[in-house]
Amino acid sequence: MSADFYKPMRLNEIDSSLQEEIKKVCDINVELCMECGKCTGGCSNAHIFDYTPRKIVQLVKLGAEKTLLSMDALWTCVSCQLCVDRCPSQINIPHIMDYIREKAHRQGVKTRRINVELFHDLMLNSIRKTGRVAEAPLMLNFNLRSRQYMKDAVLGGRMFLKGKLSPFSPVVKDIDHVRRLFKKIADNREG
Amino acid sequence: MNDKAKTALVVGGGLAGMEAALKIGQAGYKVFLVEKETVLGGVLRQLYSSFPRWENPQDLLNNKVQQLGLYKEISILIGMTVKTARREKDAFIVDLQGLDEGDNRQIVVDAVVLATGFELFDASLYGEYGYGIYPNVMNSLEFEAKLKEWGSGQENSQPPQAVAFFKCVGSRDRSKGYPYCSKICCMYTAKQAGVVKDMFPAAKSYVFYMDYRAAGKEYEEFVRSVIETKHVRYVRGRPSKVIPENGRLLVRAEDTLMGVPIEVEVDMVVLAAAIVPRKETKMLAEYFGARTDQYGFLDHDTFNPAKVGDRVFFAGACGFAVETQGAQYQGAAAAAEVIALFNQGGE
Amino acid sequence: MDIAYFPGCSLHAMAHEYDTSTRLVCQRLGINLYEVPDWNCCGATAAHSLDHHLSVGLSSRNLALVKDMNLKQMTTPCAGCFNRLKTASVELKQNDDLTAEIEKLAGISLTGAKEVEVAHTLQVIMEAVGMEGIKEQVIKPLNGMKLAAYSGCLITRPRAIAQFDDPEQPVALDHLLQALGAQPVHWSHKAECCGGGFAASDTDIVVDLGGQVLEAARQAGAEAIVAACPMCQTNLDTRQRAIEDERGIKYNLPIVYFTQLMGLAFSYSPRQMGLNRLLTSPTTLLRSRGLS
Repeated sequence: MSADFYKPMRLNEIDSSLQEEIKKVCDINVELCMECGKCTGGCSNAHIFDYTPRKIVQLVKLGAEKTLLSMDALWTCVSCQLCVDRCPSQINIPHIMDYIREKAHRQGVKTRRINVELFHDLMLNSIRKTGRVAEAPLMLNFNLRSRQYMKDAVLGGRMFLKGKLSPFSPVVKDIDHVRRLFKKIADNREG
Repeated sequence: MNDKAKTALVVGGGLAGMEAALKIGQAGYKVFLVEKETVLGGVLRQLYSSFPRWENPQDLLNNKVQQLGLYKEISILIGMTVKTARREKDAFIVDLQGLDEGDNRQIVVDAVVLATGFELFDASLYGEYGYGIYPNVMNSLEFEAKLKEWGSGQENSQPPQAVAFFKCVGSRDRSKGYPYCSKICCMYTAKQAGVVKDMFPAAKSYVFYMDYRAAGKEYEEFVRSVIETKHVRYVRGRPSKVIPENGRLLVRAEDTLMGVPIEVEVDMVVLAAAIVPRKETKMLAEYFGARTDQYGFLDHDTFNPAKVGDRVFFAGACGFAVETQGAQYQGAAAAAEVIALFNQGGE
Repeated sequence: MDIAYFPGCSLHAMAHEYDTSTRLVCQRLGINLYEVPDWNCCGATAAHSLDHHLSVGLSSRNLALVKDMNLKQMTTPCAGCFNRLKTASVELKQNDDLTAEIEKLAGISLTGAKEVEVAHTLQVIMEAVGMEGIKEQVIKPLNGMKLAAYSGCLITRPRAIAQFDDPEQPVALDHLLQALGAQPVHWSHKAECCGGGFAASDTDIVVDLGGQVLEAARQAGAEAIVAACPMCQTNLDTRQRAIEDERGIKYNLPIVYFTQLMGLAFSYSPRQMGLNRLLTSPTTLLRSRGLS
């Protein structure tokens, strides 16, 4: 935290552009929040979040983009959608999370949960290459890349015996259309 | 010019309706008090205690019933409902239906007071709370019955170790319920939570709240006393889920003051379900030419707050959520309108 | 009825038995499944986590393929795929700007894709066949097997997207199991999360959330948990030992696909239904009901 953290926040200096941006791009109005905490009370993972769902909505109101982009919760939200339907105002918090996560990924903001981001990246690589996900090769690749060489070795053996691990990677024939969809994410990474 | 031949009809024999009928009768006008149940009292009869003075609501009820019996002008028609009604000049011709098929009656009246009360929002629409599925999850009126049972002095099978009260169940919820605040839940919940502590001092009593709204004479002091002297624990957060666990109920919520998810094990969950209009109110409003709002509450006139149509007035929660004292005020106000109208000797 | 079938990546790999049982059961019920030719991955959690256009785009291509099959409806037995496909379908209908951007990006037309309706296979079976229709096919009833119907997250949520059953107290799966002669238990976690796509990347989350689901099912007296999603099944089955170690409780709860139980009741053999592929063996349970 910067030294500014120790000063009171000047409310009249708050930049509310993020709130406007989320309203425009995601069609989500955080001003509907009644601060009741129902989202957080039932959240599957709030107990391990650094910022809980209600606080995330509040951070959007406060324009605290830097905090949002680097928060751990982006990478531990399981997208279970419990908060959306329980919210008295149906504020789609997972959608806000997706939007901010996408932005964080684009800007290369570092996360402590590198494995989650790595897994997403490897999965997308698989889809870009073949159009589908081959589960067993993906898992193996992930364990190698995350340097967890022995992770789930016993479980892998049990699954192999049950015929659950197929080494083959299926390929979509008309792959060009699929690959073109990756242009935006690729451009973002280069840019 | 007084015209004592004029007659009024009061639909609904709860506190507001009783008050209206009583005042009209006391003024010397004939009045029919129609009540669909076979006893007077409505919701008041179901209550164990009252706020803000911890009085016995049955004393108030008995007082009103006893007074109603003193005036020959007042005819109490219990077990009867309005089947249909039509307007003829300045009069209403009203068909009443009794409990038995052949039990019909037609009356002609010159003014009407609608006092049909409210019902509670169907809390089973919150699947996450399990109302209607888990037996120990109940709404606030069912809990009043529970308090009466406990308070009757009969040996209580299993005193609760902990009770959780949820406010705003259906109220202040655009997605499943109603956007409005039901106004009285903050107070009666404080009362119920306080009674639990009086009855079972060792029990825990938790109130989950978004705000507590105590705008009324002695109201703030009442809620504070529940917290400070009865030691009811107020937790700021709207509960998210009730989970049956180890034979008890686990409540999941956020303590929004701390900003952390919390869990608490209780034996009973009481839902302060929203105050919503009875479906019959809208139908009756149509018979008598009264206005209703978007929810089905009676909609009053700007200049005459007890008036909802020509020669039609309202009292009590059929207009909007109202507490005991307010229902009495409104009953008296509606009666005043009727008496003033009758005293003019017809318009 | 004729309907396009989207198995998704899991059903072609780990959840092969879900694919097989779905096909056989639907055939028996007169639901003709036509696999979408050359389908691609729905994008799953990875795509919607990192790129909205990619996520909607990947699913939209599949919807466009269905239109080319001259079919108007598509079904998938995977709750995750269902959520992504249905989200895309709703976005295409509501968001013209996004649709145009994806058309440009992928170089495909999505005009026809907008008309394709998506439903989870549970919904298709309950709406097209219903409890009575299922009962007519039951040859070997499940004899009061006590089952925890586990809808999980994405078949019913978010309500505005899924438009099926109740997101908090879903009943469709319970009704289906009743029709098979089983006894669904009342339990608290039928719509809570198993940990979703975090099994590899953050296993602790699955051990925590999946553990809560197993514990709730145990307390409700269930003899097995019935899943309608390959992710739910895989998490609860493959991580069950880790959960048992963590909690010090032996659960031994088979995690079965609803289609496998339907197949059994329709008198297919446990092996035909791939019940031998489960890590937590259901054999003892099946024997106790004379089904194996």
